[in-house]
Amino acid sequence: MGELTAIGFRPGQSLLHRLDPRTKQALLMGLSVASMWGKLTFLVLCTVVMMLCVNATGLRIRRLIHEIRYFLFFLCFVFGVRAITFTGGWMPTLRADVAGEALTVCWRLLLVVIMGVLLMATTRTADIRAALVWYLKPIPLVDEKMAATMLGLVVRFLPVILFQGAEIADAQRARGIERRKNPLIRLMRFTIPLFRRVFISADELAAAMQARCYSEQRTLPELSFTWRDGLAIGVGVLIFSTVLLP
Amino acid sequence: MSIIQISHLYHRFADGTQALDDVTLTFNEGEFTVIAGANGSGKTTLLRHINGLLLSESGTVTVCGKSVKSDPFAARQQVGMVFQDADSQIVGETVYDDVAFGPENLSLERQEINQRVNQALAAVDLSGFENKMPHHLSGGEKRRLAIAGVLAMAPRVLMMDEPFSNLDYPATCRVLDYILDFHKNGHTIIITTHDLEKVIAHAQRLVVMVKGCVVKDGMPADVIGGIERYGIRPPCSVQLGQGIRPWVN
Repeated sequence: MGELTAIGFRPGQSLLHRLDPRTKQALLMGLSVASMWGKLTFLVLCTVVMMLCVNATGLRIRRLIHEIRYFLFFLCFVFGVRAITFTGGWMPTLRADVAGEALTVCWRLLLVVIMGVLLMATTRTADIRAALVWYLKPIPLVDEKMAATMLGLVVRFLPVILFQGAEIADAQRARGIERRKNPLIRLMRFTIPLFRRVFISADELAAAMQARCYSEQRTLPELSFTWRDGLAIGVGVLIFSTVLLP
Repeated sequence: MSIIQISHLYHRFADGTQALDDVTLTFNEGEFTVIAGANGSGKTTLLRHINGLLLSESGTVTVCGKSVKSDPFAARQQVGMVFQDADSQIVGETVYDDVAFGPENLSLERQEINQRVNQALAAVDLSGFENKMPHHLSGGEKRRLAIAGVLAMAPRVLMMDEPFSNLDYPATCRVLDYILDFHKNGHTIIITTHDLEKVIAHAQRLVVMVKGCVVKDGMPADVIGGIERYGIRPPCSVQLGQGIRPWVN
């Protein structure tokens, strides 16, 4: 089950670990927006900074690639869809200018995902949740504490649900489900017990939370904005301003 | 001095099953009680009533003199409940987060929370596991984490639903040791089980439940004779005619 959650918090003392989670979330949001217009200079600069951060946090590039492998397949698909055009006679053609543009789009998406991985690897989920509460607080009609609790529970229970799904799939394979050729029947046989288990787990979770006095008026982790955060924001703004360069 | 009082408690599930049928019990402070019964005898339902997770339709449950129905929050502070399935009880993304969950709900200061988390983790030998992810722990470690999560709320009563289920021999011994330590430290202990072997030698009281009713209640040595007729396996030492003996030395 460890494989399902390898992109998770890794304790450490790197600069990213010591930044306020609000700063890291702001940088991620800034990168997401700036990368929409980012050209070669911006992308190269961001890639260099990102690789330095990956190295500083102790994440291994090989492991990182392994963890985001499905996303890389998706990027290949995006590249194919954007770069390959069909001229008359259903002949696929690859033009250098279109391929360059597709590559840029994929590069931007990859940077945002790596930044997201860095955020998750260097920030405890409780801190991400506390920062989310801080960001959502001024928004009217949004219960920020409820939203943050839901986020925390999703992070906690996604691996459990995936594990339960894998167990059900194994149990069904052990009883020859592969001999059933109808994919609809196989899907039904898989999803019904999975949903049943998920609902039972959710019910037990609710009871466990109640038993431990769950309420929305809870103590949240303390967040502190220091000079490091100011510096990181400043450097971030400088890097993001390179979107104006070619 | 009594800490929990249950009087003429009934509970019927939506499908018509009578889970509790006129249960009247009193638990004294510092007492170590084992509630035994076959599957479906109403043990877990009874614990959920004491913890305020289920509220009485008929009958009363009071904890420290306060009605659970009128103030379930107060009851949950006094009575910590460890669930049978540790996986569904653990709500934190890290060991620290999970143990801190209860004290955070009590709106304690961060310093006090950190102190309680450290004490609770030390009490179950999980110090140093703070940043680990709960689902990477072994079954025994998860059970200890679930206990730490409850201990951090500083309850007076510790209730455990089948605390030894799915544990191997070393993990069972460890959990048993912790339970005995908590009892020595003054906690009131209530354990439900269908397997008396491991714990009965240490209990001061044995309550037997059948189909939602309390059929026997007394000192283990007085109650244990003929217990198999209620669907409960007697300890090996009793079957061999040697009386109640500790499971481990």
